[in-house]
Amino acid sequence: MKTNKMCALIGNLHRYNGLMPLIKNRPLATLPFDSKYRLIDFNLSNIANANIKSLFMVFNEGETSSVFDHIGGGKEWNLDGIQNRFFVHTYQDFIRKDDNNSSYYEVVIDYLRKSKSEYAVYMGSKILCNIDLKTLLHIHRTRNCDMTVVYKKIAKQQTSEEDILFTLDNEHTIREKTFAKDVTDQDEVNLCADIFIIKTDLLIEILQQKQAAGILGNVESFLRERISSTTNAYEYTGYLNNIFDIRSYYRANMDMLDTNKFNSLLYSSQKVYTKMKNEVPTYYTETSIVNSSQFATGCMIKGRVERSLIGRGVTIDEGAEVFDSLVFAGNVVKPSTTVRCAILDKNVEVDEGIRIEGTPEKPVVVEKGMHVTQDIIGG
Amino acid sequence: MKTEMVAMILAGGQGTRLGKLTKNMAKPAVPFGGRYRIIDFTLSNCANAGIKNVGVVTQYQPLELNAHIGNGASWGLDGIDSGATILQPYSSSEGSKWFEGTAHAIYQNMDYIDQLDPQYVLILSGDHIYKMDYEAMLENHKQNHASLSVAVIEVPFKDASRFGIMNTDENDRIIEFDEKPENPKSNLASMGIYIFNWGRLRSVLRTGYAKDSTMSDFGKHVIPAYLDSGENVIAYRFKGYWKDVGTIDSLWESNMEFLNPEMDLDIRDKGWRIYSKNHISPPHFITEMGSAKDSLIADGCYIAGDVKHSVLSDDVQVKDGAAVSDSVVMSGATIGKNVVVKRAIIGENAIIGDNAEIDGTDEIEVVGYNEVIGVTLDED
Repeated sequence: MKTNKMCALIGNLHRYNGLMPLIKNRPLATLPFDSKYRLIDFNLSNIANANIKSLFMVFNEGETSSVFDHIGGGKEWNLDGIQNRFFVHTYQDFIRKDDNNSSYYEVVIDYLRKSKSEYAVYMGSKILCNIDLKTLLHIHRTRNCDMTVVYKKIAKQQTSEEDILFTLDNEHTIREKTFAKDVTDQDEVNLCADIFIIKTDLLIEILQQKQAAGILGNVESFLRERISSTTNAYEYTGYLNNIFDIRSYYRANMDMLDTNKFNSLLYSSQKVYTKMKNEVPTYYTETSIVNSSQFATGCMIKGRVERSLIGRGVTIDEGAEVFDSLVFAGNVVKPSTTVRCAILDKNVEVDEGIRIEGTPEKPVVVEKGMHVTQDIIGG
Repeated sequence: MKTEMVAMILAGGQGTRLGKLTKNMAKPAVPFGGRYRIIDFTLSNCANAGIKNVGVVTQYQPLELNAHIGNGASWGLDGIDSGATILQPYSSSEGSKWFEGTAHAIYQNMDYIDQLDPQYVLILSGDHIYKMDYEAMLENHKQNHASLSVAVIEVPFKDASRFGIMNTDENDRIIEFDEKPENPKSNLASMGIYIFNWGRLRSVLRTGYAKDSTMSDFGKHVIPAYLDSGENVIAYRFKGYWKDVGTIDSLWESNMEFLNPEMDLDIRDKGWRIYSKNHISPPHFITEMGSAKDSLIADGCYIAGDVKHSVLSDDVQVKDGAAVSDSVVMSGATIGKNVVVKRAIIGENAIIGDNAEIDGTDEIEVVGYNEVIGVTLDED
């Protein structure tokens, strides 16, 4: 049996300014999600669950430390086996090579060749889903076409301007692809999930052509460009999030408090893996009042938490109240504080008696490591 | 680099006093404290004390224990020149290597120790909950030029007759050993933790067995033999939390003590972590009707009922209207709707059907692994 049918590429280049300051020092891929995950866990788990043994990732320069910290040796996603490997590359290296007139796609082409796999799967970073890539490959092969792209029916308001949308006919043939900003008359749209399967040889060929033409782009843009009526469109029916600004990010997290959505994403037939930590189970004191919330391990909950997602190792002191908020790992919320509709990035300390309040439409974001000594009222 | 000290964890106890909980599982593998197993404490102590080679001696029902320990990676014992090795009895050309006692188990596994050629051997038991720096004990052993060091803890005088009691001189040299004395002369109880100079122990065991004398148990035979031959046997005093969790009552009690965030064991100390095998589950979910008070809750739980003064392991479900109090619920158990669970230990993957009542008010109630109580309706 040929085991390495597919190799995988993950791209993470586009910087969505609407996600600032959450992506100030980290790529979108390592943004925390649902108390204990990072967005990239979903892609990595999709890869692990499909027995893909080789992975190539591209990030922006200066954003890789959180990637390495999270992925480590890749053990949790089975990337550390004797036959398995992963590579991390920075996009700026391509640019420098371009400046030197050297062949900038060589490293990708080299990777694709060495993977010895017949197909390559590409995934972007802003789409969160738990997709069975083995089935995707199977369908791609039976359709006998150049490329398969995944799409999802989604409400128009859940798309960003630069998303690609498809118009399909009854045979699921792509009739038209447009940027979301140009579509105004539809409530429900077919969102391109930026997940592609393509023959490895064909991808190499595309890269070589681009190289020859002196075009510096990225794999995602080349694949998007290639979508045509001959592309096989695969409709993903599971739960999917499109994350491109604070609001969409906040909503995607809050969706996890809906049991059906939570089960669909995290309790499907495929497991989602994340970095393992040796944390003590979370302790709730006699004074805790908690409901409709999720908690990672290692927390100490003495106060009140409602409709919120609490990360690892968080302390919510007595008399503190947290409503409709995302509290990332390592936060300390002191007594008698009120946090409402807020996103507290990692290791934030909120002083006693402070009020942090946003609105569901515009949650307040407190940057990583901040010590909050004054009220923050936003919205 | 030469191995200075090898640890041998005696993890083979049948643990009959734990009843249902050890029917299919060795005692050290019994779940504890939400996401640990009893042996995690000893293994983590080894890892934290810088011991690189750990032999885990098993005998009864080793499957769960083997699966849990694997190559020791969860404790960081899987590096170069280090490792956890499961040592099981086997048949050899000289006959069966079944273990007849603690010392005999070491004798039967002499090859493993010899191959590492250590100067010292640390003998541990896999069924105690405590944190201890074995490196400090070794320092003390060397400073005293001891041939054998025995870790001891002060127990209340009224309990002393349940333990092996060490009577010491003013320099903490052990001059007399009383196994479960009726009238104890001191309250220094042996913790079953020994450091031996391997060369000496090796020859004592070999000579003992060559002469066909019994040298099967450390407490009954080896320590008295050491004292008789005038060896330098030193008591190493331990202060801190230490609990033998060999009975249902002590297991339950120890879990309840573990709940207390201020307890002496200081489980949240990042400087001396307790490691365990990690299972991946989503964060736990407390629904609109659910509540948790004075409780420890691990990943993957779904809580729609009331949880009070209890320890819940991974992936436990507490359905609406259920009330769990003063209890230990192990991984994967399901507590049905309107169920009442009081002072109980619920085994892994047990299912308590809707409206059932588990009441351990008089005596701790135990529900075994995979046991099904009452009528269970189809999953919704």
